[in-house]
Amino acid sequence: MKIDFEINGKATSVDVDPQMPLLWVVRDELNLKATKYGCGKAMCGACTLHVDGDIFRSCSLAVEYVSGKSVTTLEGLSKNEGHLHPVQQAWIDENVPQCGYCQPGFMMAAAKLITVIPNPTDQDIKANISNICRCGTHPRIIKAIKRAAQIQQTTTLISDGKAKE
Amino acid sequence: MEKQKNEGKSSRRKFLQTGAIILGGTIVATYLGRGPLRRFAAETAESLDTPLLVSTYKPDFWFEVLTDNTILLKSPKVEMGQGIFTGLAMLAAEELEVSVSQIRVEHAGSSNGPMDLTLTGGSSSTSSLYVPIREVAATMREMLKNAAGKYWNVQPGSINVKEGILTSGKNSMSYAEISALTKDWDVPDTPALKSVSDFKYVGTNVKRIDLIPKVMGKPIFGIDYTFPDMVYALILQSPYINGTIKSLDTKKAAESAGVIKVIEEKDLVAVVAKTRYAAEMALRLIEADWDIPRKWQQADFEQIVKVGNGNAVHIQDDGSAESLINENPGSAFRQEYRTPMAAHAQMEPNGTVAWVEKDSAKIVIGTQMPGMVARAVAKALDLDPEQVNLQVAYSGGGFGRRGMVNNAVHAAIISKLIGKPVHVFNTREQEFQNAVYRPNTHHVLEAKIGQGGEIEAIVHNQATPDTLVEAFAGSTALSLLGADFLSSGHGAGLIYNIKNRAAIVWQNKLPVRTGIWRSVGMYPNTFAVESFMNELAVKTGKDPFEMRIVLLKGTEKVNERYVHVLETLRERSGWDSPKPPGKGRGLAICNDRKTIAAAVIEVQVIDKRIKIIKVTNVIDAGLSINPEGIRQQVEGCVMMGISSALYEELTVKDGQIAASNYHEYPLATLADTPQIEVIILQGTDQPLGVGEPPIEPIAPAIAAAVFDLTGQNLRSLPLRIL
Ligand code: FES
Ligand code: FES
Repeated sequence: MKIDFEINGKATSVDVDPQMPLLWVVRDELNLKATKYGCGKAMCGACTLHVDGDIFRSCSLAVEYVSGKSVTTLEGLSKNEGHLHPVQQAWIDENVPQCGYCQPGFMMAAAKLITVIPNPTDQDIKANISNICRCGTHPRIIKAIKRAAQIQQTTTLISDGKAKE
Repeated sequence: MEKQKNEGKSSRRKFLQTGAIILGGTIVATYLGRGPLRRFAAETAESLDTPLLVSTYKPDFWFEVLTDNTILLKSPKVEMGQGIFTGLAMLAAEELEVSVSQIRVEHAGSSNGPMDLTLTGGSSSTSSLYVPIREVAATMREMLKNAAGKYWNVQPGSINVKEGILTSGKNSMSYAEISALTKDWDVPDTPALKSVSDFKYVGTNVKRIDLIPKVMGKPIFGIDYTFPDMVYALILQSPYINGTIKSLDTKKAAESAGVIKVIEEKDLVAVVAKTRYAAEMALRLIEADWDIPRKWQQADFEQIVKVGNGNAVHIQDDGSAESLINENPGSAFRQEYRTPMAAHAQMEPNGTVAWVEKDSAKIVIGTQMPGMVARAVAKALDLDPEQVNLQVAYSGGGFGRRGMVNNAVHAAIISKLIGKPVHVFNTREQEFQNAVYRPNTHHVLEAKIGQGGEIEAIVHNQATPDTLVEAFAGSTALSLLGADFLSSGHGAGLIYNIKNRAAIVWQNKLPVRTGIWRSVGMYPNTFAVESFMNELAVKTGKDPFEMRIVLLKGTEKVNERYVHVLETLRERSGWDSPKPPGKGRGLAICNDRKTIAAAVIEVQVIDKRIKIIKVTNVIDAGLSINPEGIRQQVEGCVMMGISSALYEELTVKDGQIAASNYHEYPLATLADTPQIEVIILQGTDQPLGVGEPPIEPIAPAIAAAVFDLTGQNLRSLPLRIL
């Protein structure tokens, strides 16, 4: 079946089994490999991405669900290395990744979290992100999310200021 | 990805085309007289006593000067998250006189670099390369200087080098420029290396050099790799322990949408499909009946792994510990400890991308043992080793799970049969049910306590299956690693100066494959021994720090290091300040191949659940190459240690591994993150391992803290409040 949707801001169309998990569509049909397979059962969060601004575990989301919607993966979070998303910048500042495999999922979850809770506490972060990381980057992830929230606030302030000028 | 690579390559000038440094007796001999750098390698190799063997495949090189004046380093060690690329770049930068950011690191492959013939693991990567990588780098710097000297007609000694720019008087040129101008290279004697006090980067905090690809989500893992026209396969694996196929019906699978072929070749059954999804769907449609040799149960596994079962090997035998205890067994202080079977549960499942053509095989894999994988594939396909082009991908976690061939051979066979490149990665269920596991262990500790409360004798009996070191690392690695490393008996011996002490390892065999899991035998042994020491402290009314300091004092350098670690930890953890109400504190220490790691842990118990509040770690891993990297490793060990101590347990039921996915094998999450403090000491001027030792004290320190708070002695992992 042909399914049309938007991926990282661009219109796309795939012709696949409508039940195919979005994870495999993104990875293998659209060749965007940041979104990871970890468990296939919505338990690890490695495949987290955004659909119309909400977070989803794409291993457990049939592609037909995103028909007409807009999907963002880590590749679409920032324009390029020169314009990093606050979460990516914070991830670099805090030197977060080890093996790095779980990080795209965490970053996508974090990007959403700081829009819902612009100034999250440790407790907010612990209660709202249940992804798993085997390398044990947990303490740095928590720090990085708080830092990303700060970066987000300063950048919004700056752009608000600009808008007023 | 492949295409980009090739384009990149042709634009590079190969600098050290035959620039291999080959270490290790017989391999060196075959290279004598084969080109200047190889000669150099042979001459210097004898003086290096490091357990590093690299490949002899051509054309070997470690470094390449690229046209943008960066230097490409081909790492024989594998990046699985431990930060080895960053450490190696720092070491190379020291002698090359470039900044760390001018060095790029890639994995060496079988056709383009010094491939590791042993294993990335055992926390030995940095220490084993500490000298060789600097020697090669220093030699290369001198070669560049000599070439520039010739070009300018000046003495090489008059040339200064900074950030990859050579200058002499008014002359100035980059490494890249002189590389482009030079055909014949003079290879000097190995230059003297910088002394520790002259290091510019070593000892400073450097961020990981793989941050950008990792935060941008670049396709760096094996599972991300694609070849044109690639297909996807899944292998049918027995959901039962040692199950074999009794009967098979693959008709429905073959007819399933997107399926290209169902392969049935001897014991290899696989579905090959256009997409991973189609392969998954089809795999479920295979109807298989399994012959199950025995319906194993958890009780069987516990029965097998028991002190008194199997072969006993004395790892340690000082004084007359056993006879002292046996004189009057009733009066000995005796406790038993158990650790469960465990899964690695690394986030990227194992798998291979393979492309086999008539006379060649391309293999892409995240592995801790590239040399072994390449040999296995060559053998299975009846190819010469040079016909196998093995490319190492970043690993999405290793922890010992990638120290084997895994499915590389099967992937290669499938590709050969189907005539296309193929992507074969385990499902998470297969990762749990068909894996290699950390074995369960059983420990009996006995002590003879004298009238004055002094410990006269300790005997530790450990029962453990082997962790297959020999099977996958081979006998060379074994002899280099030493007798105590032979099995998961590693760490069974006591570090404490007790006149009469003995450690006996009972080697058992389980019906599942057992293997290395972060820190090998040190994990269960540190839990058992340190828990016992903590209980002895309570029993004899001593402070656990005091007791250890007394028993670890001595005349050797290591004794001084122990005491320094303990005293630092005592102070930094606030051990002597009053305990907050409702909290318990515990301590443990270990020595893992000379690295000393200790932790004090503070816990709370809420609704019978153990909550870790604070972990203070002191680690003495000798010379710190990158303190920031050490902190990352210690934090990782703390989290994996908490996960394992509180939650992880793999059990067996009705012939199957009971867990099939993360819901049945939960790991620590962000909610489990305590406050973590890491203090780094440098007790020697040699770099030692950091990736494993810090995990070892975590479980026993938690157990001691729980006792401190509740009075309950928990002697089995995972720790569960009664
Ligand atoms: S792969 Fe989707 S949650 Fe694990
Ligand atoms: S960084 Fe390796 S799993 Fe999270």
